[in-house]
Amino acid sequence: MNPSQELSQDLPVDPTVSRRFVLTLTSLVALMGASGIASLSNFLFFKPRVTYGEPSRFRVGLPESYPLGTRLPLGDQRVTIIRNEAGMAAISNTCTHLGCVVATSEIGFDCPCHGSRFDAEGSVLGGPAPRPLPWFKLSLAPNGEVEVDTSTVVDPGTYLAV
Amino acid sequence: MSKEAPGFLDHLRHLPRNVWRSLFRNSLPSSDLGRSQTSFSNFFLHIHPVKTHVNSLRPTYTLGLGVIAFSLFIILAVTGGLLMFYYVPSVEQAHNRMLDLSGTVAFGVLLRNMHRWAAHGMVAVVILHMCRVFFTGSYKPPRELNWVLGVVLMLLTFFASFTGYLLPWDQLAFWAITVGTAIAGYAPGVGEQMRFLLLGDHVVGQEALIRFYVLHVAVLPAAMTVLVGIHFWRIRKDGGLSRPADADLPEAQTRFPAAAQGKLEGLAPAAKTQKTKTFGVLGLVRGPFTKVGNTPDNTVYSWPHLFVAELFCFALAVLVVLVAALLVNAPLEAPADPTHPPNPSKAPWYFLGLQEMVSYSAFWGGVGIPTLFVLGLLLLPYLDRSPKGVGVWFSRHRILANSLFVLFLLVNLVLIIVGTFFRGPNWSLVVPW
Repeated sequence: MNPSQELSQDLPVDPTVSRRFVLTLTSLVALMGASGIASLSNFLFFKPRVTYGEPSRFRVGLPESYPLGTRLPLGDQRVTIIRNEAGMAAISNTCTHLGCVVATSEIGFDCPCHGSRFDAEGSVLGGPAPRPLPWFKLSLAPNGEVEVDTSTVVDPGTYLAV
Repeated sequence: MSKEAPGFLDHLRHLPRNVWRSLFRNSLPSSDLGRSQTSFSNFFLHIHPVKTHVNSLRPTYTLGLGVIAFSLFIILAVTGGLLMFYYVPSVEQAHNRMLDLSGTVAFGVLLRNMHRWAAHGMVAVVILHMCRVFFTGSYKPPRELNWVLGVVLMLLTFFASFTGYLLPWDQLAFWAITVGTAIAGYAPGVGEQMRFLLLGDHVVGQEALIRFYVLHVAVLPAAMTVLVGIHFWRIRKDGGLSRPADADLPEAQTRFPAAAQGKLEGLAPAAKTQKTKTFGVLGLVRGPFTKVGNTPDNTVYSWPHLFVAELFCFALAVLVVLVAALLVNAPLEAPADPTHPPNPSKAPWYFLGLQEMVSYSAFWGGVGIPTLFVLGLLLLPYLDRSPKGVGVWFSRHRILANSLFVLFLLVNLVLIIVGTFFRGPNWSLVVPW
């Protein structure tokens, strides 16, 4: 018994489904699959695994270099380092509205692009900003320096006791 | 002697004439046949019809806006191609290369000025072109797809302008793109992904510069070239530019000066008196069958009428851009400083309406309302399908549609004016005088 006879016994053959139709259908599915894979690979190509910008973790020096009452904006890292009785904290300087760098004002932060205003703790006082400025996680590095991790947001009011 | 086959010396003697004839198959036309063949057999002219309707040639009907927009596109491609020889898309070099254009390159500043002002001009003319098409009802069937293509081309023009904005890598460029791409980040769900794909990073930096450069010099111009080709092709396939329903009738000749003065070269005499002439039974099946004496009335030969008009529009565009470039220098601010945004940070004028809306609500102003605007424009020809009022400016039949469109334009204009002149430091309201 040859294979085709065996197949015909097992499967009921629908005479209306032609060989051409099956071939067309499988070709179509294969073509769509290939297009899908090509689109996906192109999409992945445009998403680099590593970026070349600022690192998300960086050290900002020993706690002793920040006297009580410090509010020091670090331009390149886009954070403001705060030191008070409760300890140290790092508040983002990137406006939550459209990503401009906020300027330090007398009462807190002002965004020059669309006029959002924040208080010293980063809460929104006015303007179009939808969220308060995030606080970033601080930790002490083994060498005693303070390390900021901008990829981890902590609740406002979380200070690193130093 | 004269019967002898021409020798090599004869070939040499006729070389210039033969080369010329292989380039230009027709001498300057003096007959209707020649006029037809000239536009038919020339690669650059054959996209045009041999004959053009007189209504399409009325300057007060089209204002030449489509041809002017395309002329500006050509100016931009040429000046942009030249600027590419000196530009380096690197954050260290880009701004210095801009400065070098003024010091070390002959006509460098002029070319940059031309590129900048032609870009602003193209955005303005494309918008005006859309207004013309709207107010004359020219998006109505069968021209729906060409309206949609036009809207897509307008968006591509904005995007090309936006990507070009970053390339000088000055303060204006850096912060306009920072704000612009942050707007994209507000799109629900996919916003952050889109922003990351556009920038290649989480902030505007080297990755963003090279991505914008490639989009600006390769991807977008290529896409626009293809779509412009389809846009032009569709004009022909949709029966030429829109015109009033009765514009093809012989009676309409009196409305067109060229027709009234009897300048309709080549129009068969019968056509002037006889609207239809059918030959045989086939003629009854689908209107007149043969074209003899039955060409669309009130047309003239494209050579020279249409080509002179187009050449005039092109020359006008070059002249205005050149004069603007000679008189006003394109601004170049201090090099991009990611730590100090200028105060206020403003986008280019055509995005200031968007920026003004964004200052009220980032999602609605930057994503929601613009998306509704674009969807409305794209769907317009499929929603408003009344055939009335096509081919005339401000038709009384279209008073509602035209009023709504004027309102749409006014809202955008007011937002742009407020954003441009009435916004000062910290985006607070200021009085400009």
